[in-house]
Formats: sequence, structure tokens, C-alpha cells
Amino acid sequence: MFWRKTRAAIERFHPVHQGLIWQRTASVTLPPAEWDAVVASLARHAETVKRRKWRLPDRTVAVLVPLIRVLCEDVAPKGAIGITADLRGPKVPEKTGPSRKFPGRGRVRNITEWFAHDPWLAVRAELRDGSVLELTVTDRVRYRRIHKVNPRGKHKVKTKSKAVQRITARRTLQPGQEVRRPGSPPPRSVGVRIKSAKRTVISATAKLGPAPAEQDQLQWILAVATEPFRWTPPAATVRRTA
Amino acid sequence: MNPCAVTTGFFVLGRCGRPSVTVCRCGRSVCARHVDPQGQCPECAAAQAYADPFHPGWARGYRRRYYEQSSGMYNDAVWYSRFDSYDRGQFDAGDGFDVGGYDGDGFDGDDGNDWVDS
Ligand SMILES: [Zn+2]
Ligand SMILES: [Zn+2]
Repeated sequence: MFWRKTRAAIERFHPVHQGLIWQRTASVTLPPAEWDAVVASLARHAETVKRRKWRLPDRTVAVLVPLIRVLCEDVAPKGAIGITADLRGPKVPEKTGPSRKFPGRGRVRNITEWFAHDPWLAVRAELRDGSVLELTVTDRVRYRRIHKVNPRGKHKVKTKSKAVQRITARRTLQPGQEVRRPGSPPPRSVGVRIKSAKRTVISATAKLGPAPAEQDQLQWILAVATEPFRWTPPAATVRRTA
Repeated sequence: MNPCAVTTGFFVLGRCGRPSVTVCRCGRSVCARHVDPQGQCPECAAAQAYADPFHPGWARGYRRRYYEQSSGMYNDAVWYSRFDSYDRGQFDAGDGFDVGGYDGDGFDGDDGNDWVDS
């Protein structure tokens, strides 16, 4: 039992942290102080756990931790942040759609194509100005398995993938919260919709192809989240009562 | 005593407003909760912790860069100046003082005792 000590150390991690190790998922709503405890636990991971099999999913440190930090800035102590993260990647069976086989031409015998639908992040945060921010990130991956025969009659199979991504940010305002159209439209990659009701809802959507690289992912999520905040003047974002 | 001029929040900006105990080298008045052991405000302290999101001050250090990037992407100078003027203390949002964003210290926003009005 060479890894017994590591396993014992993992059992002392925050339960949300443990879930990210064992299931590579998290689905929980917590107040900011408790998210701080989750992040503090995750911070100890790299020095404690050396086994590759038990490493954190890449998006934990690249996306989840900084996003939690950002949201904690805007959520009052008694507010809540709900995060549903499925960081198992697009290749698990539940995310895989049906495949179709196409006949090939020339040396290509056939091409098998299928899509994976990977909604890997959903966030809901009750902000301290009384509005509610909801974010989602979904990857759609196209796989093509190409079966070739080379001139010497040798069979080769190669799988190519191409990912696109959809990011949505929806902010539901407090009743009566002031709405003001921003001076410039959003960039072409971001669409915006305003639903005027008792509580105005501002929704921004971006479809990105190709999906952003890991190191740009957080920046893209925050960029889409920006649009709903441009629609409220700063004075209305500061309230004296929680 | 000047109120603490530290900008709180990320998308939802506010200003701390507690009584300050010192002045940071950037000129900002800082309260006891927001001053670091070197006498710096959170943003000056976090400027050194840019790269590490595990650092508790990371979001405050990243915030200025976020506003620069997003106002560039949206071609919206007003969006950046909203943050910048706020952060430089030029922004007077009427009752611009905060209700206490989360400070990571268990501070309860309902406890109004250490808030000042202006
Ligand atoms: Zn302060
Ligand atoms: Zn400073």
C-alpha cells in the first residue's frame, strides 16, 4: 500500500476537493467563506498528491479556482455560489452522440463521425447588488475516425477532433434596477438579448470556434460575463442594503 | 479620518469606506482590514501575486487587467473608466460606499457598526 499515506491525506481534503479527485465532478452551492475553504484545500493538492492518476482535472486550477475567486468578490457573506462542474472531459459515454459512417474515396476506406456534447460548467451566483449571475460553458466536439489503406495495403486509423464552445452569461436584475444601453455594441462573437420584465434579464451568448485554449478559457468566460454588467450604470450596482 | 478607499467587488464595484488606519504608497487610504503587513492596499499587494489564483488577493490584482482586456474587446472606453475612476477614488456614486462584499474574514454585512457614510 505504497499510496496509503496519500490516500489518507486526500481524505482530509475538503469534500468538494475530494469529489474533483475521485469523480472529477462537483455540484454544490456554498457561501463564499466555504468556497474559500475549498480553494485552500485545492491549494494543498500539488504538494500532497504526486500520483498522476489522482491529479486534479486541468480546468480546476485554470478555470474553477480563479472563477471562484472572482465571484467571491461580488457575493455578500450570506450569498451563495452554486457550481456544477463536470470535468471528466468529452469522451465519457453519456456525452457521446450516435455515430455515422461515410464511404471514403481513394485510399480512405471510410470515415466515422460522431459528436460529443459536453456541458462542463454551470454557475449561479447571488451578487451583492441583488442581481443573479448564471454562467454556462458547453463544448461540442466533432470526432472523425478516418480509416485509410496505404499503397502497401496497410490499414491505418486516425481520429481527428474539432471543438467549438458556447458560453452563456445571464444576469437577472433586481426589480427596479436601472438599465442603460451601453455606448458600444458587443463584439461580433457575443450576442445579447434583453428581456424586460419585473426583473430584467440580460443574456449574452458567445459561440467560439475553435474552443479557446486552456490558458485563454477564463478570460473568455469573463469576457462574455462582461456584457450583462455593461447594461447597468455603476451607481445602481452599489447598494447600501444587502 | 479618511474612509478606506479600497475598491471592492469585481463586476459589482463598491468602495470599502471603513475608517482608514494608514495611507498606501499609491496614495489610497486603507483600513485595518485591508492593509497588508507591509502597509500596502490589496491591489498593490496583489500586483505581486498576479499569476497564482490560489493567492487570496489574486482577483483584486487581476481585476485591472480584466477591465483593460474587456474594454478593449468591447471597444468600450467607458467600461474601463468606470473601473479606473472608481479605483482612483474620483467616482462619486452618491452613496458609493459598500455594504461589504465578501472580505474573506467572516465579516457579516448586516453588522453596520463599522460603516461610515461619507
Ligand atoms: Zn477597507
Ligand atoms: Zn496601494
